[in-house]
Amino acid sequence: MKATANFRRFLILASSLASLLLISLLFLGVENVFAEPEKEVAYRAFPWIGSRVAIWIVAQLHLYFAAFVLAVPIFALIIEFIGYKTGEKKYDKLAYDFTKLLSVSFSLTATFGAILTFMLIILYPKFTDYFVSVFQPTFFIYVALFFFEAFFLYSYYYGWGKFHPLLHLGLGLGLNVVGTIIMFIANGWVTFMTSPAGLDEQGAVVSVWKAVSNYTWMPINVHRIIANVAFGGSIAAAYGAFKFLGAKTDEERAHYDWMGYIGNFIAICAFLPLPFAGYWLGKEIYAYSQNLGMTLMGGAFSWLFIIQAVLIGNLFLAANFYLWLGMGRIPGAERFRWVIKYILIVIMVCFAVWATPISIGAISSPDEQRQMGGAAHPILRFLGVMSAKNTAVNLLILSTYLSFLLYRRGNKIPTVSWAKTGNALQFGIFVVAVAIVMFIGIYGYFVPTALRIKMSVPQVITVLVTMVAVTIIDVFMFRGAKITSGIQWGKMPKIAQYALFFTAITFTWLMGLMGYVRSGLRQHYHVYGVMQDTSPDAFTPTLGFAAGVVSVTVLLFFLLVAFVFWLASLTSKKDYGEPAGSNTLSERYH
Amino acid sequence: MKNALIIFLFTSVVTLFYYYVGQMVPQNKVYPPEVVDVTGSLSIEQMVEAGQKIVTGKCMSCHGIQPRFPALQGVGGIAGTRKEGTTDVEYLAESLYDPDAFIVPTFAKGMTAATKPPLSLNDREILTVIAYLQSLGGTPSVSMDTKLKYQGASGSASASAPAAGKADEKKEPLSGEALVTNFGCAACHSMTTADRLVGPSLYDVGKKLSKAAIYEAIMDPDATIAEGFFPGMMGPTLLGAGFYEKVSSGELKVMVDYLFSLKGGA
Repeated sequence: MKATANFRRFLILASSLASLLLISLLFLGVENVFAEPEKEVAYRAFPWIGSRVAIWIVAQLHLYFAAFVLAVPIFALIIEFIGYKTGEKKYDKLAYDFTKLLSVSFSLTATFGAILTFMLIILYPKFTDYFVSVFQPTFFIYVALFFFEAFFLYSYYYGWGKFHPLLHLGLGLGLNVVGTIIMFIANGWVTFMTSPAGLDEQGAVVSVWKAVSNYTWMPINVHRIIANVAFGGSIAAAYGAFKFLGAKTDEERAHYDWMGYIGNFIAICAFLPLPFAGYWLGKEIYAYSQNLGMTLMGGAFSWLFIIQAVLIGNLFLAANFYLWLGMGRIPGAERFRWVIKYILIVIMVCFAVWATPISIGAISSPDEQRQMGGAAHPILRFLGVMSAKNTAVNLLILSTYLSFLLYRRGNKIPTVSWAKTGNALQFGIFVVAVAIVMFIGIYGYFVPTALRIKMSVPQVITVLVTMVAVTIIDVFMFRGAKITSGIQWGKMPKIAQYALFFTAITFTWLMGLMGYVRSGLRQHYHVYGVMQDTSPDAFTPTLGFAAGVVSVTVLLFFLLVAFVFWLASLTSKKDYGEPAGSNTLSERYH
Repeated sequence: MKNALIIFLFTSVVTLFYYYVGQMVPQNKVYPPEVVDVTGSLSIEQMVEAGQKIVTGKCMSCHGIQPRFPALQGVGGIAGTRKEGTTDVEYLAESLYDPDAFIVPTFAKGMTAATKPPLSLNDREILTVIAYLQSLGGTPSVSMDTKLKYQGASGSASASAPAAGKADEKKEPLSGEALVTNFGCAACHSMTTADRLVGPSLYDVGKKLSKAAIYEAIMDPDATIAEGFFPGMMGPTLLGAGFYEKVSSGELKVMVDYLFSLKGGA
């Protein structure tokens, strides 16, 4: 017994000493990292996780919140405007509910932006110095605009109901304009690192404007606006789902069900054209440098796009699943239920095609390769090329659009005399579109690569024209339609709310992954072809490692989002000490 | 509160699922191209060897197995016949310095000149590349003294120190032994005998560890600890000495190669 007690004491002492030693070493490490003021160094190491991972996490968190802060005012303004034009208060309330999420998110965006800046200065001093030499004038504009952004954002939020509606809408417009310009400037910095321009042979800046408006600048601008709206919509929908699950009354449930629906609607509407913006970006990357394009699609990152396919396939599934569940709250929509299984089949097949790799040499055994007769499967390899994948994604988009269309007409019966013709016309357009998309997809196998790549354009145009044409017919056909029943907002199963969370998490993870490839594409360059990364982190990590960092970042983001949601929900809580039944602070002021 | 916990759990599960998907695809690290020393006079064998390293590190993503640009197999044998009126050396030089001058049928324009970023090869490096390409199905005939009409022209890396020069002044590369000495590794590790100092002897480390393991031992010393030694020593020492800030990826590779070459005097 005594021996055991002594051993225990020894263990405690030893572990205490070890802890003390460890803490001392850690402090020593940190101190040494940050204590070299007199020497010019290119890099400093961030303790424990390394500089690259530290910058990666902070930059991604900054981007998540920045995307949200830029996206929410876009649709809040539109919804507020609809409320103003229709006079329906529910739109105004919805827009305000979205805006409530903004102020804390804005603070977090600025906080992470500041941390990112300091970390760049400390950890990558040589790169930062070079970057400042190129973009110096833009920093002043950026900071000035940031002040205006804060002015517009806080006056838009705190001025809700305090000004004339048009003035308030003007503040919202100002917020959007300034926010977009800020993003465009930051995009100039980021895209310069991938496709630098405006430099002389020595790497010194010749034209700041050319440096900003480089090859990939405008595609990224467009891609980010659309993606931000999709991402922001999904997070706002998740807020609706969060509030729905905690709702105490049918009225609250109805409101937050509607909020979730609108958020998801915004997310999916923005999501549908996103692949096209992605094509454009990819095309510009190839146009700038074939080497970069090859690295992106056929080199180190080719398998990343299989992960992307899983994410996007899941997004399509979740979006459709939510819509199909939503049809349950529309009496009359049952008549379309039979179509759902066919849409599901199309989605699953397209999903599988999109996630098929062309070569499985890296994940198959020598015996499997012998049986296949090579590194690629004898049949499935034909599904792993762009012709098949482009076809799959276009059909996915059309299928999801069809789900929307059915949802939209769930409780409506057209009364126009040409309804049958209109339906037949819409059906015909769909059939022709599918035929064109499939034909181009198959034809692509028989033409040279350069032509095959160009053929994705008519595929995209076909789908876009189809969606626009069918929507126009639908709008006119259902004008003055007979409404068979009202939508029973709030009568949604809980699982539908989890579909919204799933969508938000998947969007966030996807954004992290694509952020990684956009940045990682430069490989061992800070500025592609201009400034090499000579740090020990210059290698490109494995996709598994990247997936780990993205996952950690996503979890951190959602922990912070939970904080934002909690703060936003405080405004609907009764004041401390107030008896039940009294107005909340927000009710008193609005 | 219950809802919040369930949502948190749900978020974690979905995130972990995507993490799992990320582990299911092939896991490859991609290192920067090797720094190839082409200084001094090189024999034809040394030129071919140097050229091969450059081509492997910088060219194969586009000229590889499923090439966007022409495959390089056998190019040395056909280079002299591809374009009428040009020798193999002239053709290969033109395809490197001015790739759009002649496009192999069925392929498209798009290759960046080898002197421009991201390849940024200098005239000497290009000569070694030509030697290597000639060796693929042919016989190398260039030397480091071969004069090409493009040499020294504007845009040639050696003449103008390419755009990369602003940020990355090139310096004479050090040998692995010199780097190990400069970074003071011998203060804790014996390089010449099997004696144990503060850390294990590296006298025969090339026999015991793979290159990857040596790399890991430097970058993440506590990942695997040699028997009889303690964790938490080498990492903070290197961190404190600023090793990770000073060493470049190229130098790291040279050091690893050198350490791997230590086989105990055998």
